[in-house]
Parts: sequence; C-alpha cells; structure tokens
Amino acid sequence: MANLIDSIGDRTFDAIVIGSGASGGWAAKEFGEKGLKTLVLERGRDVVHVKDYPTTNLYPYELEHRGETTYQDRQANPIANRCYAYKEDTSHFFVKDDEHPYIQDKEFDWIRGYQVGGKSLLWARQTQRWSEYDFEGPARDGFAVDWPIRYGDIAPWYDYVERFVGIAGNRDGLDTLPDGEFLPGYPLNAAEDYFRQSVAKHFEGRHIISARCAHLSQPQPIHIQQGRVQCQNRVLCQRGCPFGGYFSSNSSTIPWALKTGNVTLRPHSVAHSILYDKESGRATGVKVIDAETKQELDFHAKVIFVNASTLNTNLILLNSISDRFPEGLGNDSGLLGKYVAFHNYTARIGAEYDGLLEYRTDGRNPAGGGYIPNFRNVYRQETGFLRGWAAAFGANRQQVRNSTGVGEELKSELLGGSTWTNWRVHSHMMAETIPREENRVWLDADRQDAWGVPLLHISIDYAEDDWQRRKDYYEQMTAMYEAAGFTNIKPQDDNRRPGNDIHEMGGARMGHNPQTSLVNKWNQLHLCKNVYITDGACMTSTATQNPTLTYMAFAARAVDHAVKALKSGEL
Amino acid sequence: MDRRAAVRTMLYIAGGTLVLPACFRESGSASIALTNLTVSEEQELLLAELVETIIPATDTPGGKELLLQLFVLKMVDDCHGAEDQATFGTGLEAFAAWSRQVLGMPFRQAEADRRVVLLKRIGDASDESVGKFFAILKRRTIQGYMNSQYVMTNLVKYELIPGRYNGYFPVEG
Repeated sequence: MANLIDSIGDRTFDAIVIGSGASGGWAAKEFGEKGLKTLVLERGRDVVHVKDYPTTNLYPYELEHRGETTYQDRQANPIANRCYAYKEDTSHFFVKDDEHPYIQDKEFDWIRGYQVGGKSLLWARQTQRWSEYDFEGPARDGFAVDWPIRYGDIAPWYDYVERFVGIAGNRDGLDTLPDGEFLPGYPLNAAEDYFRQSVAKHFEGRHIISARCAHLSQPQPIHIQQGRVQCQNRVLCQRGCPFGGYFSSNSSTIPWALKTGNVTLRPHSVAHSILYDKESGRATGVKVIDAETKQELDFHAKVIFVNASTLNTNLILLNSISDRFPEGLGNDSGLLGKYVAFHNYTARIGAEYDGLLEYRTDGRNPAGGGYIPNFRNVYRQETGFLRGWAAAFGANRQQVRNSTGVGEELKSELLGGSTWTNWRVHSHMMAETIPREENRVWLDADRQDAWGVPLLHISIDYAEDDWQRRKDYYEQMTAMYEAAGFTNIKPQDDNRRPGNDIHEMGGARMGHNPQTSLVNKWNQLHLCKNVYITDGACMTSTATQNPTLTYMAFAARAVDHAVKALKSGEL
Repeated sequence: MDRRAAVRTMLYIAGGTLVLPACFRESGSASIALTNLTVSEEQELLLAELVETIIPATDTPGGKELLLQLFVLKMVDDCHGAEDQATFGTGLEAFAAWSRQVLGMPFRQAEADRRVVLLKRIGDASDESVGKFFAILKRRTIQGYMNSQYVMTNLVKYELIPGRYNGYFPVEG
C-alpha cells in the first residue's frame, strides 16, 4: 500500500472531488458515470449505508438514556447540542465542539458532519426549487450582485437530480415555487388542509402546500436500482435509514459512483489546500493531510470540485496560497470569505384549533406537514424591507395522559386514560437574509487545528432588516391564524444564533465579473477555471428555499460542463 | 416476567454499567455503577419501594419488577447537573426521615395504601428538598415506565416501522 501511495501515477486522477456530502456525492456520481477516473476526498471516516448506522433499528428502551444526551455531553458540546437533530441516537454523526474548534468573533453555531455522506445523513430533507423571482432578486432589488444564471439555466438540472433523488411533492402550479419531477406528495392532515382552504379563501396569492421532501413515497425503477425502497414513515431519518427511504449520499450517489468502477473514495483525508501552477494558470491537485497518520500527500487531477460545505470550502480556498494568489485561490477581488449569508430561523408561532376533532393523525408524516412559499415582494417591492420569508406549517393532536396521581390510579391513567388534545398548530419562519460584506470568514494567522490547518474566524450576524422581516412574519401569520379561527396564538422568539439554521451560504459567490464575484455561471473560479465550487459557498443570494436541492443541481450541471470542457480542450 | 427477561430489562436500563444482575453486593453500595451519585444499598431499597408505590404491580409488573429505581439512578447520574444530583441525594435522605416521622416506621415497612397516601401529601414536607427530589423521581419513574420494554411491547405499543400516514384518521367514539 505504501508503494502504491508513493507512486505519483497512483495519486493522479482525472478529477478530484473534495467532500462527499449532498453536492460532492453528486459530483462523484456524475464523474464516475461519465467515465472519469475520480478521487473523492472525505475528511471523516467512512459510513457505509446500513452497516454503519448503529442505532437505526433500536427501540427507545434500547438507548441507554432513552434518547437524551447526557449532562456531560451537553456541557462539552453546547454547539452541537443546540442542533434540533442532535440526540443520543444521532450524536455519532455530528462534529464535537472541541474536536474541531473555530473562532467565533460573533456567536455562530457551526453544525458539521465529518464523515462519508456529511450532513446528507442528517438533513431535514426539504427540497424546493428556486423560482425565476429568486434568481432575479439581487439585480431587481439592488443587493449582492446579479446571478449570471436564471431559472431556465438550472431547471433541466433540477429535473435531472430530482428523478434520481426521489422527491415527494404535489404539482401545485405555483410560479413562485416551480413544480418538479415528483413522486406522490404526502397529503396534508385534516387541520393543515383546513388551513390551506382558509388561506386560499381569505388571502389572495398565498398558498399552503404539502412540504416537498426527498422521500420515496413511491419508488421508481431508478430508486430500486440504487437499492432503495419505499419510505416506511419511521421519521428516525437522522439515524441513517436502512430502507434508503430518504436521500443521502450514503444510500444513493456514493454507492452508485463506486459501482461505476471509476471512483476511489478516500476517507480520513483532510483537504489542506489546492495546488496551483502559475505557468499553466491551472490548479494541479490537492494537498491532503491523512487524518489518522497526519502524513502529507499530494493528489493530482485535471479538474477539482470543492464541495467541502460552505465554510470549509471557503477555508480551503483561503488556505490555497501561492505566489500568484497570496490571498487565497482566485481571490484577486479580496471578496473570498465575504458576503456569507444564511436563513433567519428565529421565529415560531403556535396556536390551537378546536375544529375537526373527529379526526386525528395515524402513523408519521416524513414531510413534516405543510409549507408556505414566500409571497412577500415577489412581483414587486411592497414592504419597507427587501425580499421575504417562507414558513413551515404543521398541525397535530397530542396524546395526553393524566400523571398527577400516584399508585394504581396513576398506572391506570398512564396505560388507558389517554385523551387527544385539540389541534396544536405550529409554524417556523425561514427568511431570506441579505448578503453583507461584513458577514465573513477568514483564517487565523497563527492558530492551527490538529492537522495543521489554520483555524477559521467566523463573524456573521443578523441585521436590522432581519427583524423587519420577522415582524412581518409574526403579523401575517397571526392574521392568517385569526382568519382560520385559531386561538391561543403565541408568537415565539427562539433566540437561535446564526448558523443554527444550517443554511450558511456564500463566500465564493457566483457572478458575471471577476472583480465582484469568485465563480462564473458554470461554477468555475473566474481566475482558475479547472476549480469548480458547487456547494453552498457559490450562493450569491439565499432566497427562502432549503438550499440542498439547488447545490445538487449545480453539481450535476457543473460536471457536465467540466467534462465537455475537458473533451474540447478548453480545460 | 421470567428471570431472563428481567436481566435483559436490567441491561437496557443500566447499559454496560451493570455491576451485579439480581442481588446486592455485600459492600452495601448501589447495584449499578454510578459516577456522580453516592447511593447506599439501603437507599436503593427505599427507591425500589418508592417506584413500586408510584407504579405498583397489578395484573402487570410494577416499578420494582421493571427495575425503575435503577433507571432513575442512571438518568439522574448521567443526565442531570450537580445541583440536581445534590438535591436528589439530600431530598432522598430528607424523605426517609420525614416519612419515618409521619408513618411512625420506615417507609419500606409501611403498608402499600399508607405509602400512597403519604406520597399524595408530599407537599406537606417542610424540607423543600423532599418535593424537589420527588418531582425528579416521579418524572423519571414515569419516563422509565412508559419507555420500558415491557410497556412498549405489551401495553402501549411503540411502532418502530409504522409504514403509513393518515391525516384523516377517525377518532373513536
């Protein structure tokens, strides 16, 4: 093995993909299918579908603390513990706070999954397309820079990705949230459907739809070929799904890529920096630190995809220093690491509904319920703030048991005396944020991690307009709740820090001009064309949609471009 | 529940930290390994009677048979902070003293119905650590009961794989 590693021929590939999460997995699959000899670098350990899901089939009583994290764990890992999905049964898929430190110049919860599959094992699986209005936004409203692409450029790639991933959704016919290649949607429940009708009746242009999600509601042959079968409504997704009922790199793209015979997966490989050759004006490879041995290795390729997750992609580019690029690869503009944005998730609103008590739910809904596409400032500017917000909406009835007693009375209440509450409705906001130069990341000049990689500074915060959007969310949701006859309406601030939305985007934004953006419309670094950025780092603006579907579409589209460019000699 | 099932239940309760499966050590300390709490055999026996009083055996097993006292200890030891742990220890001792005073005998020796009456009067204890201790004990006892293998497989069944979702499920009655 040492001999193999020592041979430069064995360290040379057609393509290198840094990262094996949702977007890296797609790049790997596409390169492999197109016949390119491809190396996938993953800094964490391997996680093989099913085999490496140790908690996936455990009953609650088989978990030592019935799912709770321990006090010691909460003290040691406050950042990870603030993630809604971090529990006793999933904690092994999250980065622990002190294993991978970063410097919070402002409070920021950086939620990370360092393993094959990355955060695709852990995501909330909500998948909505961007619309024409989202891509037009920056140019129309005069913020960030103009996206050099429009909906029509990416629409066929949404189609392409959705067919393979499997997206459950209804064809709702909304221009604000284009329809896709859908499997049957998960229907709204009685109270959610009632709210849909009420909003349609009282509020023109507002819609409640079934949340669209990456679940196999009705698997097609392409999914069966991946070894995935129908979602079984467990809603234990973040443990890893033995059915492949939801999309992850582990259940889908990575094994598919490996099956082509063209793809080599190298776990425990920390990408340190991208190597650059001034003569050719091209990147030549990636400097890697073996996470276990700390040995330094160079791998070489004609094209490099950086899919390390938004902030780590920024980190790797910033750390790719050369005579030509002393401030980071492709960073003549000085904008690398800047204009990072995210989604504002700081608002919730709960209420109760006393109608339709003849119904409750049975089983579990993997989609989670309903979704309210953004309706604010879509066709024209209509408020004092730019852009808008989307929202999740759901309703359920809870089974309650009287636990006030002691003895046989208590036991009998616990076992038999359950009653169902009225409908408890809930919503949370997912608001667009405006990218600002001062929301940025950079490298510490001195401090390094255990692998000799500089620590990342993060300085990202909310701005005044975020609170204006939130105020609008509270007001409009309250109005919609009131019109539906909901009671006990309770707006709540959940005080979450930036980063806890896990939708950090930007830092290497896409644009027309190398002076104001890092990557072009094909996701190539303007100034180093054989390096492609197709994860969240390339995002120019955030819109309101959950972003992963868009990253996957970018990755597939960019590989298509790269392979054509390699064939034509352009690269 | 047969002995094999009891031991299996205990393993689920105590994780890998079980010291002895079904009898107490001569050292007089608790039968599971604890990191933060110090619990004597005597106190563990009292806790066993307390969980049995909260969830008594009927035609189905009660708290003691389901080893809920060990579950409570495990959770307080691992999932609560130092303040709660101190309160739990102090409150347990204070409860022992208060119950002996009210009942005129140790709690463990009192008849079942007198124990139930006493626990319903827990608010009467002047030492506030008694109420705090009991709140933790009761919450964790109910959690341990409802999440026990016995209840989840026999009484209020947990579905690992529902395989369905119906948003218009008719409510009975």
